[in-house]
Amino acid sequence: MSLQPRREYHIVVLGAGGVGKSCLTAQFVQNVWIESYDPTIEDSYRKQIEVDGRQCILEILDTAGTEQFTAMRELYMKQGQGFLLVFSITSMSSLQELAELREQIIRIKDDENIPLVIVGNKSDLEEDRVVSRARAFQISQLWGNAPYYETSARRRANVDEVFIDLCRQIIRKDMHRTQVRDQESGSGGRGGRTSRGGHRSRRVRRRDKCVIL
Amino acid sequence: MEQAQYSSIYVAPLHIVKSTSDLTASRSKTGSSHVEAGMHSSDQTTPPLTPHDASEPRSKANEPVRSTFHNYLRAFYPFHPPASVSPSAVTLPLDAGNIILVHSIHTNGWADGTLLDTGARGWLPTNYCEGYEHIPMRPLLKALADFWDVIRSRKDATLAIFRDQDYMRGLIAGVRFLLEKSDCLTRDSSIVRNHGNIRRARKALLSDLSSLVKMAKVLQDIASGSTSDRPVDEIFSEMLLKAFKIVTRGVKFLDVWNEDAGANRDIESVSAILDRARSHDRSTPLTFAPAPPVNLKEESFYADQSIAATQREFRLSKESCKSRHRESPGHDRCYSQREASYSTLAGRPISVYSKRTSVSHRMTSGGYTIGPKNSKLASERLRSSHDTFLGCLGTFLGLHMQSRSSSELLLTTQHSVKSCRELLTLIEVVLDHDMRRAENLAEAKDAMYDNITELVHAAREAFRPLPSADEDMLFIPDEGKRLVNAARDCVRGAGECVAMTRSVLERIGDFEPEANELRSSVVTIGSPRSSRHIDMDNERSHAGFEEAQSIPVEPEDQSIADETEEQSAADDPRDHSIADGTEERPTTNEMEEESSVNGPEQDLPPRLVIPETIISPASPLLLSFDASLPKSYSIFHTITADSVANASPVSTESVQAPSTNGTPTIPENELATFEPIIYASSQIHSDGCSARAIVNSTGSSGTYVSSGRDSEVSVDSQNSTRATSPGALSQHLEADVLENQLSDSHTISAEECDETEAKIMEKTFAHELMYNKEGQIIGGTLSALIEKLTAHHSTPDALFVSTFYLTFRLFASPQEFAEALAYRFTYIGETPSVAGPVRLRVYNIFKGWLESHWRHDCDDIALPFILHFARNMLTEVLPTAGKRLVELAEKVTDIHGPLVPRLVSSIGKTNTSIAQYVNPETPVPAPIISKSQLLALKAWKTGGPNVSILDFDPLELARQITIKESSIFCSILPEELLATEWMKRSGSLAVNVRAMSTLSTDLANLVADSILQLEEPKKRAVLIKQWVKIANKCVELKNYDSLMAMICALNSSTILRLKKTWEMVSQKTKATLEDLKKIVDVSRNYVVLRQRLQNHVPPCLPFVGIYLTDLTFVDHGNQTTRQLTTEEGSIGLINYDKHMKTAKIISELQRFQVPYRLTEVPELQTWMQDQLVRVRSAGEKTFQNHYRRSLMLEPREQMQARTSPTGTNPPGKSSEKSFDFRSWTHTHRDKSIATNG
Repeated sequence: MSLQPRREYHIVVLGAGGVGKSCLTAQFVQNVWIESYDPTIEDSYRKQIEVDGRQCILEILDTAGTEQFTAMRELYMKQGQGFLLVFSITSMSSLQELAELREQIIRIKDDENIPLVIVGNKSDLEEDRVVSRARAFQISQLWGNAPYYETSARRRANVDEVFIDLCRQIIRKDMHRTQVRDQESGSGGRGGRTSRGGHRSRRVRRRDKCVIL
Repeated sequence: MEQAQYSSIYVAPLHIVKSTSDLTASRSKTGSSHVEAGMHSSDQTTPPLTPHDASEPRSKANEPVRSTFHNYLRAFYPFHPPASVSPSAVTLPLDAGNIILVHSIHTNGWADGTLLDTGARGWLPTNYCEGYEHIPMRPLLKALADFWDVIRSRKDATLAIFRDQDYMRGLIAGVRFLLEKSDCLTRDSSIVRNHGNIRRARKALLSDLSSLVKMAKVLQDIASGSTSDRPVDEIFSEMLLKAFKIVTRGVKFLDVWNEDAGANRDIESVSAILDRARSHDRSTPLTFAPAPPVNLKEESFYADQSIAATQREFRLSKESCKSRHRESPGHDRCYSQREASYSTLAGRPISVYSKRTSVSHRMTSGGYTIGPKNSKLASERLRSSHDTFLGCLGTFLGLHMQSRSSSELLLTTQHSVKSCRELLTLIEVVLDHDMRRAENLAEAKDAMYDNITELVHAAREAFRPLPSADEDMLFIPDEGKRLVNAARDCVRGAGECVAMTRSVLERIGDFEPEANELRSSVVTIGSPRSSRHIDMDNERSHAGFEEAQSIPVEPEDQSIADETEEQSAADDPRDHSIADGTEERPTTNEMEEESSVNGPEQDLPPRLVIPETIISPASPLLLSFDASLPKSYSIFHTITADSVANASPVSTESVQAPSTNGTPTIPENELATFEPIIYASSQIHSDGCSARAIVNSTGSSGTYVSSGRDSEVSVDSQNSTRATSPGALSQHLEADVLENQLSDSHTISAEECDETEAKIMEKTFAHELMYNKEGQIIGGTLSALIEKLTAHHSTPDALFVSTFYLTFRLFASPQEFAEALAYRFTYIGETPSVAGPVRLRVYNIFKGWLESHWRHDCDDIALPFILHFARNMLTEVLPTAGKRLVELAEKVTDIHGPLVPRLVSSIGKTNTSIAQYVNPETPVPAPIISKSQLLALKAWKTGGPNVSILDFDPLELARQITIKESSIFCSILPEELLATEWMKRSGSLAVNVRAMSTLSTDLANLVADSILQLEEPKKRAVLIKQWVKIANKCVELKNYDSLMAMICALNSSTILRLKKTWEMVSQKTKATLEDLKKIVDVSRNYVVLRQRLQNHVPPCLPFVGIYLTDLTFVDHGNQTTRQLTTEEGSIGLINYDKHMKTAKIISELQRFQVPYRLTEVPELQTWMQDQLVRVRSAGEKTFQNHYRRSLMLEPREQMQARTSPTGTNPPGKSSEKSFDFRSWTHTHRDKSIATNG
């Protein structure tokens, strides 16, 4: 299983309008040398990355621009294996909107531990910050210790890290699922999840140091 | 280009040694003692025989760090690797001074480069070279690199970008920049005037540029469809080579400039440049290699010779260098060369190359360099008069388009005639000295006379005030064309003459013309000639004129004189009023004077005859300029007056008649001789734009031709001295043509130089544009973009223009836009040759803006400025256009809303092929609705029982939904889609986009609602089937927006989880649903849907969300500005590419903004609207309600079996979570419980 070549994962980027999630996606998908970004082609949202030595292709679904088509959301969510929940540190309401999105994800995926990363974008606008780190961590803990990152799409800070973290979660879940399937054991799921939760919280703390520094 | 060499499989030979010798050290030493220096250099560093022989890597430590990658290198030492060095590698032999375009530099010091002199590509040792990047050359060098990219990348692209010559602008701007920085922009600048070498280098540069421009024209024709017998690749290679040559010429120019002008110029600006360049030089890491032992004996000898010729003051150093040369041949030559250059130029490295080339022009340079001392030599006089003449004509070429003051034009004409006369006199003298009497030269001289006559005619033609501009078509005033052509002919003719005269001089040897030989031209050669001419004694000239007049007129009697007089008057009667008699008269007189002076000089008959007779018939034409004729010409005068009185375009008819009457005596061969001229002039007319112009110029050319014929007649009848036996003439002509082709490039380049000269003179912002590899503009300053928008040579493509109108408010305020347009209008006035068309385009842009792209909400602020512009600036130049614009602006002030009601999708429409796909003839399908259905709807309206979606035909429902949605879609305005306007939380202008999303959401909710309303799974299954049918019909109608809404609903977790219901749904329906799902699949960026849309013709309702997402990503994923590094530092350009992308997406959407031809059923619409409103009224809770309802209908059995809600969750985790949810988000309390449950 570890030698499986390239895996394709679907990542869904969600968040209220205006939090800069499209910037985040564009920054991630674009290579630095691309001088102009064309979102209308098939590969606009695909990117190959290496996570822990494996090659993955990430296909990113971004709802940017269509937030008002609320009926559309489920369509995206159904596709996703991992989710980026993006809010802006300059807008409290954008954080609050994430809750609804998360509910929906959990309901649709019927899985409380779906790979998920909380992203506080616009970290470059520190002076306009209204969502304190503490508040964000609180949410993060509430949501099963989902990792929390602060990014600046504009400065391209922490952008790749967010996606890599999410990808790592997906891979781990993937492996775990196969393990569970291999073991044919029904009870393994719960325990695995709790232990993973611990892992995650550790990672969160580690990451956050980077963020703050 | 050798394509084969592009692959970089070639391995560079390894082990290059970098010299340890320090530049400054060696220089100071060589400065103190030449011989010693020579020894020193040959002793201390053992020159590598070949790079292979490189001994030690010891030098690496001392080697200056090569910090920057130089795009260009210049060879400082010749490098001629023996073929045996490395057979596997393609090495590039270098000569000192060569310029190399570098593609890559290997760490071992070898560079992969293209030698600009030959276009060959290969490996070369970088330590033989130095980075070349002088400030004045920078834009040109950059332009070449860009040009290279454009030419090289076209393989995969079409020829589309070559349809206009934008890609050429960089090179032109680069040359301009070089000339500007070196203060040699105009031919009249003192540097150009005073330094022959600079002048020649400049000329060579310009002529190469113009020949490239010419190639570009050919390419343009090919790109726009015309076929060519030459393979395109060949043209590309040639263009690339030519571009290389331009750069090498530029380099040479700069060298020469530094040598001749730079050193002793004290103008601050220039020396500042020099300083900058110098300091730059020093900063460049100069890898200093020992002079490689190359057997260049001959070459070095050559170079020394050239130094001897040009730099006498350095005789001493040259001597020493020569002596050293003898001692150790080859080795030290470069040093001595460098030394010489350094001492001359205080540290400016000058290539030896340029000197060597100057030697190759031995004959000319000999003449030139001796010139200043021996200015009396015929060759020198020839050169100077030729230059003067070309100078006159050059000013001329720039004058033609715009209505300049008539006196200015007259003055130019006068000067041209004057200088032409000098030249011709000189040729006469040379002809006299030639015993064999070169026939072709005499012929060329005759042709020259014709040319100058034509020029005078054309000048008269150009006096006409510009016809008032037609606003709706770009009307280019054509009068100037003839003038330009005539001037061009003159240049060509003069070139021929000079070339031939030179060859004669070479044959017979140079001589100093006697003073009396030049009697008539003494005036012309001395510098104060102009004043003397103007002071010319009236009486004398009158006498001369009379005399001259009588000579040709005599045999043919009055008729000719009458006729020509009448023609000239009819030609353009207004000239009489415009022309300044006193100013023009000297010209006329001058010509007459020559004949009168020459006339009695019977000792040299052959010289006199030809000019005299040719001039005389032309003179009456010139005379018509003269309003104050003395009484002796009363006859002519009255005729003139008469013809003026009844002058009208009609009179051209009458003009032609007598002219044919007057010519029957012409021998047939004479007619034949003139045919080409007639043909040429008629070609000019065919270019004409208005019928009127054609009539007029035809008239004048008729005049010209007939007078020409007459002159020939008189020649024949009067002078047998000239060998004009029938048949001989045509032979001459042929010979001339041959001669012309063979003689020298000088002729052609001189002509084209002027064209290029004009191009160079054009003020431009082209250097502030940025192109991508495909040659499309991706960035620019506002001025540069406006310049492109109003380019004179080609209409910018529709997308470019529509992008501008659509998006300019994103990068400039309306006021700035208007001001930039007005600025363009002003500064193009400096370039009269193109000012006309450009100004019309500026006007048209204003007009288009006011008429169909005006946005009252933000553009009104610019109205006062536009009115001011129209009333003052525009009206002054183009009165009609000005008036029109004022009217428009006033209308815009009064009326709200667009003046020209724009079609639904007119704005930014880039694809004209859209037109109307729905033929109005096609019958509108009848609605599928029965009377009972209508009755039921009516009953519902009056409070009866509700009707169900099941009661209606799926197709009709799909139609009604489509009509509803289409009407909103079609009213989406482009501005709603800019800068994510629709995302604005408050005050969004994007009402229609919002309405679209609301409708979509409502529709989705209606689907879910209608299904969930029913208690029984079976009934719900029926309803699902109905919706699938409707969705399927939507696909048939190409309504993807509604399809998306329905699929979203059917696919939502609320509906999808109703297992019992889905069990009741037939396989067929499920299969259909699966197919529909595939259409709107979001994966791979909606690849399926995008492909379908691409192939659709409207009417069609695309899923708007795709466009919204695309627009959002274009907006957020691309920078607002692009950085362009210029010599002044970095400037932020408008990222036009981003706006182009935006406009493209919007135009895609607009492509579909075509209403459906379907019949609305009002009753059904009302009912549907009611249903949608009902669903919407639930507001945000709709979804939660649906989910609860769904759970109620079909509870979660399996989930309950596995994990019971709330309580049975593992302690802490889930309950804690739901608790906290309540604490910080209050709105979704209900749902979170539901979720957990």
